[in-house]
Amino acid sequence: MTQDQKTASMMSGQEEEELPVNHTGPKGVINDWRRFKLDSLDPTVPQSKRELLRQMSSPREDDKERLNRKMSAQEYEMIQEEDEGSLKRYRTQSMQEMHERLSFGPAFEEVKELESGDAFLEVIEKEHQMTLVIVHIYQHGVKGCEQLNSCLDCLALEYPSIRFCRMDAVATGAVERFTPEVLPALLVYKAGESLAHFLAVTKHFNEDFFATDVEGFLNEYGLLPKKEFTAWADDEDEGGDVE
Amino acid sequence: MGEMEELRKEMENLKDQITAARKTFQDSTLQEAAAGVTVVGRVQLKTRKTLRGHLAKIYAMHWGTDSTLCVSASQDGKLIVWDTITTNKVNAIPLKSSWVMTCAYAPSGNLVACGGLDNMCSIYNLKGKDGNVKVMRELAAHTGYLSCCRFLSDTEIITSSGDCTCVLWDIETGTQKTVFAGHQGDAMSLGVSPDFKYFISGACDFTAKLWDIREAECRQTFGGHESDINAIGFFPNGNAVITGSDDATCKLYDLRADQELLTYQDSSIMCGVTSLASSKSGRLLLAGHDDFNVNIWDMLKAERVGVLAGHDNRVSCIGVSSDGMACCTGSWDSFLKIWN
Repeated sequence: MTQDQKTASMMSGQEEEELPVNHTGPKGVINDWRRFKLDSLDPTVPQSKRELLRQMSSPREDDKERLNRKMSAQEYEMIQEEDEGSLKRYRTQSMQEMHERLSFGPAFEEVKELESGDAFLEVIEKEHQMTLVIVHIYQHGVKGCEQLNSCLDCLALEYPSIRFCRMDAVATGAVERFTPEVLPALLVYKAGESLAHFLAVTKHFNEDFFATDVEGFLNEYGLLPKKEFTAWADDEDEGGDVE
Repeated sequence: MGEMEELRKEMENLKDQITAARKTFQDSTLQEAAAGVTVVGRVQLKTRKTLRGHLAKIYAMHWGTDSTLCVSASQDGKLIVWDTITTNKVNAIPLKSSWVMTCAYAPSGNLVACGGLDNMCSIYNLKGKDGNVKVMRELAAHTGYLSCCRFLSDTEIITSSGDCTCVLWDIETGTQKTVFAGHQGDAMSLGVSPDFKYFISGACDFTAKLWDIREAECRQTFGGHESDINAIGFFPNGNAVITGSDDATCKLYDLRADQELLTYQDSSIMCGVTSLASSKSGRLLLAGHDDFNVNIWDMLKAERVGVLAGHDNRVSCIGVSSDGMACCTGSWDSFLKIWN
């Protein structure tokens, strides 16, 4: 399966295999609308039309004409004023599903000590592709390393979906690269790819720093997941100018 | 049947001739020309502001020309105009339809527009006499969804549609001035040249077209993509075009050389590109993918130099301000973020 197919089937949890769909852009809107139509308990949508929608969502490979046009004439006819209640339910459900999809994955409890270059590579390459891996390169005696270690111990408990690791610069086998000036360093990986690296990361903090400072820093770069999904309270905002 | 075959063969011949003609002008590649340029180094952007207020996935956003205000369109059926410095909502405009695909800010800052599955482009006046924001015009004539719209001025706007055409409208009268037909598939995105004389469109026929607005003609057509073009934009100096496609690549086409200069691709990237924005200098390209991830490319060396919003792939749309100072991303969880 392609990444898209995996995503789609994880998202909807449907038995039948879903063909790749777009989630963003105009095609994303079309597919969201189709899902809304199919999911909404709309008794006025007759069985035949439901079947039609299902068919429209999966164009046949041999139909080249069809592939260039993203919506069928029948679908255009089905667009109508929608019930706000079912729209609200659909939105909340969609976001909830996305959050669940992203929390799906192994959970960890503590910071893992990596003993060798091989162990490092193993973690980077073998972890679940949804799992964020954060490695702290430290060295005994270098300022900030011990403090950062305790911060990460805290964060490891708060963010169980993240694989926190630490490694002694000497154990990396690349001690010439990890000289004391660039330590402590934080290296961030996901699905085998480097997302970010922060050398001498403590230069971003005050002399005394805590887990919340490290958390805030990582958040600024968009690296941390939301801790939990809060469903929005839908206050009736009737529009017009808002202060 | 015989005649169709003949015509098909003639068409293929002509296409080959065009490709050969283009090749004769290719005396170098962009990578060779840029070989001596210093590397950009890893790019890591930080979130500066978070814009909270929408209740559902952000489908589109567009910066105002002052680089301070921007407008966003969401599945919650609202257009919100934001002050990105204070993070305040300047206007919250309820829409008739939740299925909005595009939004645009007029260069003057007086109007915003949006459209989607309603097949219409709705124009809103932000500077009405009594202070309320109301629909000023509903431009209806397209027989397909409205995928994109961009203002030329307060009196003219260009739209692209799922009916395969692009249209230049007179906003005052609400009528079509010019219909730009030629694409063989849904038109997905459009971009206006810096001098407002041309616009480019990307479509589901895998091609991008350059149109002369006043002469009402298609000047150039660019192929090469292996799937739908979802996003398109002018290179900052107006001499090149950047496209993003479902084939997971972005391409750079030069208008004067009339051909492709570079393809931005990586075997590890398998997800289609659905939005794009370049830095003001044109050195960096931000490509938003359908898996909500954003890759940052060095446009000259065609190397990936970073990713945006590393973890929780959340980005559904992106835009870079005209002064080049910030990038705005909309996400599926209702927030917008300002980065630099």
